[in-house]
Amino acid sequence: MGKIVIAENLSLKYENSEIITPSSFTINSGDFVFLTGVSGSGKTTIIKSLYGEIKPNSGKLMIGEFNLNNISKSKLALLRKHLGIVFQDFKLIPEWNILKNVMLPLLIAGVNKTDAENLAMEYLSRVKLSHKADKFPEELSGGEQQRAAIARATIHNPVMILADEPISGLDEYSASLVMDLFIKANRLGITIVIASHSIPSNFSINFRQLHIEKGKVYELS
Amino acid sequence: MSSLKSHLTLILALISILFSIFLFKTFSQILEKYKQNIIDNYSIVIVSTSTLSKPDIDNLGELEEIDIKNEIAKLKKKYKNIDFSNITMPHFYKLKLNSLPSPNELINIKNELLNKPFIKKVMTKSSSQTKIYNLLMLLEIISKTFMYLIAVLGFLLIVKQLEVWKLLHNERMYIMELFGAPFWFRGAALFKIAFIDSLISLIITFGLIYITINSAIFEKVINDLGINFEINYLNDFGILFLISFLISFLSSIIVVIGKK
Repeated sequence: MGKIVIAENLSLKYENSEIITPSSFTINSGDFVFLTGVSGSGKTTIIKSLYGEIKPNSGKLMIGEFNLNNISKSKLALLRKHLGIVFQDFKLIPEWNILKNVMLPLLIAGVNKTDAENLAMEYLSRVKLSHKADKFPEELSGGEQQRAAIARATIHNPVMILADEPISGLDEYSASLVMDLFIKANRLGITIVIASHSIPSNFSINFRQLHIEKGKVYELS
Repeated sequence: MSSLKSHLTLILALISILFSIFLFKTFSQILEKYKQNIIDNYSIVIVSTSTLSKPDIDNLGELEEIDIKNEIAKLKKKYKNIDFSNITMPHFYKLKLNSLPSPNELINIKNELLNKPFIKKVMTKSSSQTKIYNLLMLLEIISKTFMYLIAVLGFLLIVKQLEVWKLLHNERMYIMELFGAPFWFRGAALFKIAFIDSLISLIITFGLIYITINSAIFEKVINDLGINFEINYLNDFGILFLISFLISFLSSIIVVIGKK
């Protein structure tokens, strides 16, 4: 399998302090990766660097053919079109209903509205939210919002999903549903990178664990 | 409610700017035409010992010789004991100036003409001309200051509106950017608002202009001034149309570019 992420001696700074000291790691296409570490260890910083929100301080960071060290705005936009991002705080557009939120990546890709609507409805039914398509984010529970966010992150068939603490703050049932959605996406060949302080105890499929400790990234087997 | 307020702010700002531009143009046009009226009815009388041509008066305006035959005939009748054949009569000219001079310019023109040896006398209606000129200048200054103030207020409202837009649209644009949305897509909602608001502002401004120029007071003022005021709808409204869209689209582009 090809490498989708190559980090060589990657150092990352956030607000002028070095959060990740030079570390090297790779992620293969189709991997299911947990990025673990205590709070403030730098999990979010790495996730942000993977979608180009934080630029490498030193070292090299490649996502597919994109070099994130000196990526242009247009190339970054192109890269992001091939990624699915899930946030701890969901980041659904508050003034849009759930259906339109899920349609977002398709609308950006230029898919016509009717096709986008049909596909979004299909994805909403996969995350068991088709009955709430016309609701606004504030009308949904945290678990439901996160499922909608996952539908949005997967609808455009991305090569990789980056999820930052996606089950933090969710009840056990919602967390289990959300993890199932990631597993299903991974079975379709999508690379999954989840930043989480711990790995669910009943997690059943093969995965890799990249652990951050004192700013260094280690692979745990 | 807040959305309606934000629409109203931009619409009000645009209306004030557009209407002040219209008033500015209208005042300028009226003043210019009124000045032209004064110039048309205003002339300097020059008495010269020799015939004058344009270069003699430094091309200051149109020169027209005053026919004094009738006046001499009257004088001959009145003073029969005077032998007019021995008197060499001077030439009288009316000088219509190219532009309305300021009182100082008028004094300079007069002195310049009197410096020429063949010009014996220059008669101006300096006192009434000075009053009219000063009044026009005062009107122009007051009206322009007033309109600049309105325009500045309008711009301040737009600056305020930009802050509101940033708060309202920042999050949505940020989320869109995370999914790789291009510039036009991120700004689409703002561009739509900008388009609708400029259209509404234009319609309201046109309504205000229509009411203004068809009001009895406006018509009376124009008639009293004796000028022919007309609006070039295509040109004037076209300019307002462009300005309105330019301001609102520039504002929305600033918000999209300045997104944090």
